[in-house]
Amino acid sequence: MNTIKRIIAIGCLCILSFGCKESFLDLAPLSNSNASNFYKTQEDFDLAVNNAYSTLYTIYAPESAVSYCAEQMSDNATLYNVAGIQADRWAFKDYIVKPANTEVYRFWQNYYNALYSINIILEKIEGADLAEAYKQQVSAEMKFLRGLYYFNMVRMWGEVPLVTRPVTADESYDILRSPEADIYSLVLEDLQYAAEHLPLASEVSVPGKASKGAAQTLLGKVYLTLEDKTAAAQVLQEVVSSGQYALLPDYASLWIVSNKNTAESVFEIQYKGGAGNPFSPYWTAFAPTENFVLTLYGGGMNQVTDNLWNEYEADDPRKELSIFTGYTNKAGTFIPIKFPKKWVDSTAQTVNGRELSDNNFMVLRYADVLLMLSEATDDPAYLNQVRARAGLPAFGSADYPMAKFPTLALAIEHERRVELALEFHRWFDLKRTDRALPVLTAKGKPVTADKLLLPIPEIVLQQNSALLQNPGYD
Amino acid sequence: MKSELSTKVRNLFRLLLYGIFLQLLSMTVSLAQGVTTQESDERAVQGKVTDDQGEALPGATVLVKESDIGTITDMEGRYVLNVPEEATTLIFSYIGYLQQEVAINGRSVIDLSLNPDVTSLEEVVVVGYGTQEKSAVTGSVASLSHERFEDRSFNNVLQSMSGQLPGVNITQAQGAPGSSPIVRIRGISSITAGTEPLYVVDGLPLEDFNLNMINPQDIESVEVLKDASSAAIYGSRGANGVILITTKTGKPGQTTVNLNYEYGIQDVVRKIDVMNAQQFIDYYVTAHNNAWIAAGGLASDPNSVRPKQYQIPEDFINNPEQFGEGTDWQDVAFRRAPSHNTQLSVSGGTDKTQFLFSGAYLDQDAVLDQNYYKRLAIRSNIRQELSDKVRMGLNLAFTSIYDRTDGTQGKSDVVSLAVQSDPIFPVYNENGNLGFKDPNSEWYRFAQFTDLQLWHVYSLTREIEKQNKSFNTLGTAFLEYDIIDGLTFRSSINGNLLNNRYDSYRNKGQKYGYSSYLDAQGNNSSAFMLNWLTENTLTYDKSFGEHTLNALVGYTAQHQKDEFSEVAAGNYPNDLVHTLNAGTVTGGSSTASEWSMLSYLARVNYDFQYKYFLTATLRRDGSSRFGQNTKWGYFPSVSAGWLMSEESFLKNNNLINFLKLRASYGVTGNNQIPNYGAISLLTTSNYVYGAELANGLEVSNIANPNIKWEKTTQVNLGIDLGMFRNRVSLSAELYHSTTNDLLLDVPVPDITGFSTQLTNIGKLRNKGVELNVSTKNVEKAFSWKTDFNFSLNRNKVLQLGPENAPIIVTDYVATVKTAVGQPISNFYGYIFDGVYNTQEEIDATPHDPSTTPGDPIVRDVNGDGQITEDDRTTLGNYQPNFTAGLINTFSYKGLDFSFMLQGTFGSEIINQMIRYNGIWNGGRNAFADVANYWRSPENPGDGIHFKPTIEPKGLQEKFSSYWIEDGTFVRIKNIRLSYTLPQSLLNNIPVKVARVYVNAENVHVFSDYRNFDPENTTYSSGLLIGADYTSYPVPRIITFGAQINF
Repeated sequence: MNTIKRIIAIGCLCILSFGCKESFLDLAPLSNSNASNFYKTQEDFDLAVNNAYSTLYTIYAPESAVSYCAEQMSDNATLYNVAGIQADRWAFKDYIVKPANTEVYRFWQNYYNALYSINIILEKIEGADLAEAYKQQVSAEMKFLRGLYYFNMVRMWGEVPLVTRPVTADESYDILRSPEADIYSLVLEDLQYAAEHLPLASEVSVPGKASKGAAQTLLGKVYLTLEDKTAAAQVLQEVVSSGQYALLPDYASLWIVSNKNTAESVFEIQYKGGAGNPFSPYWTAFAPTENFVLTLYGGGMNQVTDNLWNEYEADDPRKELSIFTGYTNKAGTFIPIKFPKKWVDSTAQTVNGRELSDNNFMVLRYADVLLMLSEATDDPAYLNQVRARAGLPAFGSADYPMAKFPTLALAIEHERRVELALEFHRWFDLKRTDRALPVLTAKGKPVTADKLLLPIPEIVLQQNSALLQNPGYD
Repeated sequence: MKSELSTKVRNLFRLLLYGIFLQLLSMTVSLAQGVTTQESDERAVQGKVTDDQGEALPGATVLVKESDIGTITDMEGRYVLNVPEEATTLIFSYIGYLQQEVAINGRSVIDLSLNPDVTSLEEVVVVGYGTQEKSAVTGSVASLSHERFEDRSFNNVLQSMSGQLPGVNITQAQGAPGSSPIVRIRGISSITAGTEPLYVVDGLPLEDFNLNMINPQDIESVEVLKDASSAAIYGSRGANGVILITTKTGKPGQTTVNLNYEYGIQDVVRKIDVMNAQQFIDYYVTAHNNAWIAAGGLASDPNSVRPKQYQIPEDFINNPEQFGEGTDWQDVAFRRAPSHNTQLSVSGGTDKTQFLFSGAYLDQDAVLDQNYYKRLAIRSNIRQELSDKVRMGLNLAFTSIYDRTDGTQGKSDVVSLAVQSDPIFPVYNENGNLGFKDPNSEWYRFAQFTDLQLWHVYSLTREIEKQNKSFNTLGTAFLEYDIIDGLTFRSSINGNLLNNRYDSYRNKGQKYGYSSYLDAQGNNSSAFMLNWLTENTLTYDKSFGEHTLNALVGYTAQHQKDEFSEVAAGNYPNDLVHTLNAGTVTGGSSTASEWSMLSYLARVNYDFQYKYFLTATLRRDGSSRFGQNTKWGYFPSVSAGWLMSEESFLKNNNLINFLKLRASYGVTGNNQIPNYGAISLLTTSNYVYGAELANGLEVSNIANPNIKWEKTTQVNLGIDLGMFRNRVSLSAELYHSTTNDLLLDVPVPDITGFSTQLTNIGKLRNKGVELNVSTKNVEKAFSWKTDFNFSLNRNKVLQLGPENAPIIVTDYVATVKTAVGQPISNFYGYIFDGVYNTQEEIDATPHDPSTTPGDPIVRDVNGDGQITEDDRTTLGNYQPNFTAGLINTFSYKGLDFSFMLQGTFGSEIINQMIRYNGIWNGGRNAFADVANYWRSPENPGDGIHFKPTIEPKGLQEKFSSYWIEDGTFVRIKNIRLSYTLPQSLLNNIPVKVARVYVNAENVHVFSDYRNFDPENTTYSSGLLIGADYTSYPVPRIITFGAQINF
């Protein structure tokens, strides 16, 4: 009898100790939010939109695809000794990029990762229980970014998989490379929507948000690329007549760290210097490697070619404002080396061996609008506004170096190169005007028509064997 | 005879399983009955029971044969027993000693000395949630008792186990004191989840436990559960094997005081052969000239006509002799380092109480400049009988470690940087500063050359102050209650509390010794971990005639929370005050994570006639890590054994005295997956509008509600054989395991926005053979024993993610490819077949267009007549073909000598230092053999090393066979010599045992590997294991020790 009592007692003890409920196993993450409850409120969407804007940091980073393509695959910039896998980074300037190039794969990942952040907002905002005006505003901003990104991608890779909503891994195998026309039509659709729904620059809620003018400027560039000069002229004229923008009187003031979001700025990536902030990486990256004077190390990206230096007219003040010709080391010896000057931040705080600079980066600015407008209208008046600001004689005037740049097209090509030097435009400009092959070949670049597109990364083809490589990369 | 043996064994089995207490229980009953029989004729017998050394044995049992009459001995080992007239024989017994029957023959005084039962002590092994007699084990359990690692001078018991157990591969990736070795049991059973075994310390299962927290001298035994049937009782955590650590307890009897002191000397005996200053200057000049010539210049061109990057310091051209041999930075980094280890333990007890108290203090300098390791370990293990049915126990251990450990982090840490630094610079410049970047130094003339490199050892060891402090408390408490005969309830509460704190301060500018002049910086971080476990089990243990049954059911709940915080500060006014308040805080963060687990477990052990054994287990695990749809998993196992030598046809066989066959099948899991892998997480990703910081959140991974454990199914066949009265014993095992539902960070098309998704997909197989042979070659006054072990494992990937896309991982250019049909982590790249000597040779073979004489010959692997990325192929694999260990032990009187050889055969290593020291890389120093590079067709060098250039084109820099080295080695791992003073010398002093010994670890390595040690690997887990950016060398350690027992 006693024994039975004991067994019952122990049984109760056991049951007590078995009392842990299954909820014991339901542990929510302590240091991250859980995405399953996200994308509900306006606050959620604000946070997500801010992240979508932050993808600009990778897409327009100093070591980004547009940087390598625009500057190093053109005649503007080169690389010397740098850290990392040198061969993969040197490959761009020498046009020997292979499908296994790790940088190209990184670029590919950056774009689609950014597109996910955009697409998920566009999808979730559809069904969100929020004010229609807010939903439209968010959609327009996201479509501006998506248009910008796909425009870059189609110019660098040609046909790419067109992803317009979040897709699962299973779905992704069926998404193959879309014809360029389809990509351009999405780009146009997105940018037209953005131009229609975004506010004027003077009315954007906070500096840095995409504006109507930004969407229209980009549209103008897309139309020019599609050789639709009429449409380009029309939309760019609207930017001019909107009265939102003006050239700054002084080219130098464009590059003062504290001069942010000026009248000339059409779309500008926002950075904030100092510890804990999203700081600007350009100065560190563009300083000569291991200079130990200007910066703690220096990244050595986009070191300037003599060819760009020599492109400037003799009395062009923009030359010295855009390019350093060297630096003096700690022992007082001058080290001659040309490198970008536009993003200097000599007072940046340094933490962990790098500068936390404060410079913003202009993706689109009014000088670009004016130069495109001359290209679209064949009217040198806009070009000459840009030259006047630099204190240089107008195209068509007696003092203009007509011998060197005998046509308006060549004059625009020259002006864009020096005005927008090192701002990630050159190679795209040459491609748009079908000038890349003759210009670059003449400068000794081993370029062919095929090599004007980047390869699809090897690993992407391995993941989905239905995808095809660009010609010339097999 | 047969039944007597089986009764004896069964009794021992029961005794050991129940502990001393049950026996005492029966004693009490007997004594009570003894009182009732006092009326009959009887007489007193008395005496003293001692052990074989003559020491009194308190608590020994004295029974009258075929009666319930008996007593136990007192503290002096004395007894008085009233014996009935008709009684003829007394039975003396004591746990751990052979039971002895003595005829009374009318005597009234019977003194007796009992002999220890060595076999019974050795043959009990700890298995999960209990113990088992070794000959009854049906799975694969390797056991190592403390004798096998005593005197070894390691801080971590795992290091002493290396090479001793077949199927248990223990390698020392980093030689720093306190660095835990890498343990792989029966190959690699996972691709991306963890591959470390589960550690169970006195019943508390701990993932990622650092065994440095347990003083090896406190450990009684270590058991390794190798096969799935033994590990299945640990369910979702058993797939990588389980290591059970059991700490010592006191034994009833006289109190023993053990005092031990060791003095050790550590040296780096295997250095990396790098260029001296003269060789380096020649290499530097040639690399610049080759590139300048390729760019259209002449070698004779002065700096004035060369662009900056092709310029050469005038000192190198005009007066290279001034540099002499230069500085060997490894000599600056390493030193002979002493260590002191003092240990004291007190143990003993009575029948009701047993205790062990121990304390140990280790004070060790490390071979790397400024590095040290100090450990204080205190333990108290107590066991108490509360009543005849209730027992409890408490093990409490506290360990504190203060250390500074640099050099283990690979390429940017001090050891690797010392190997990369140029030999031309002095240890101190004329200002007493460290580097050539001192603007007031004459050495500053070299600072304008951006391709001269110095990361001065002292700039990292003396100009940075660092200290890591760890405090670990481990406690296990249990209560046992005998409900009815054979049925025991046990409840335990266990906890592990770990606190880490790390402080560092970097002096401003580091005396110009580092590559850049960095501001002062202070860092502080702390980590806190609490793990608790509650366990409740019911055990039923009973014999029915020839059937013996042991059954177990249980329930456990476990929870762990990890917290981490860090703060950094800069902008210090000077270097006087190093705490963060002196600077300005530049960053800080804190994070936390947790996991929990609920488990139900059951096991039945059954044997018939102690010949036929059957074990079945089942565990059900639920874990917070698993997805909503897959919270719970079942892990069953079954195993059987046949003790053939107990059968009549083998009984009394002269050749074979022991033979057992074993077979097992089990399912285990691997839960070493991220804590929140099933959940889609948001991470911070901020933007700025104007001057205003704007918070942003980004989806960092895709949710997967189906995430679960990896599942390993293993079949094990084993045979244990003893011949010539155990002069030769052999144990062989064969296993085949398949891991399903591999949790892979499956590469998914990047157009999803992600590169990988954590998914249970994929399958791999391990199969292998293990052999252990022990022989007693000579067994006289002089004895000689040999232990040999051999293991072989073959690993093959059977299935991967969608389309079986291979998993490719790279570090810099080093590429490791895991593909279906191949072992995990094949090294993947080009094959270099030497160096092109002439243009004709180049023209005659497929080549990269950039190739010129002096460049590497790249093999056209696919034979398509051109060199493309398709010519990359398998270059090797880190997994060895087989490993072996050999231990010889000799003794003569008090003298013991042993040595141990250990070998790994057929593995390859990626020498990541090729990136810096094998190929020109920004002016870093190079391996000495690189000096035999190609100079001209007339002076082609060794035909391996191509011409150096500062602008490598083509494939020189790519990952190739040039990076692969043979990992085969044989190591004289250990030599030991000890002398125990003869008892006759100790008779007049209160010392029981006095011993002195010398122990040498890592005596010599036979290996062709160019870096410090073939066991070095920068990555200790994951697919890149076997890639070495130079690691902390494994030093040779010689210790001198003395031990006294009172």
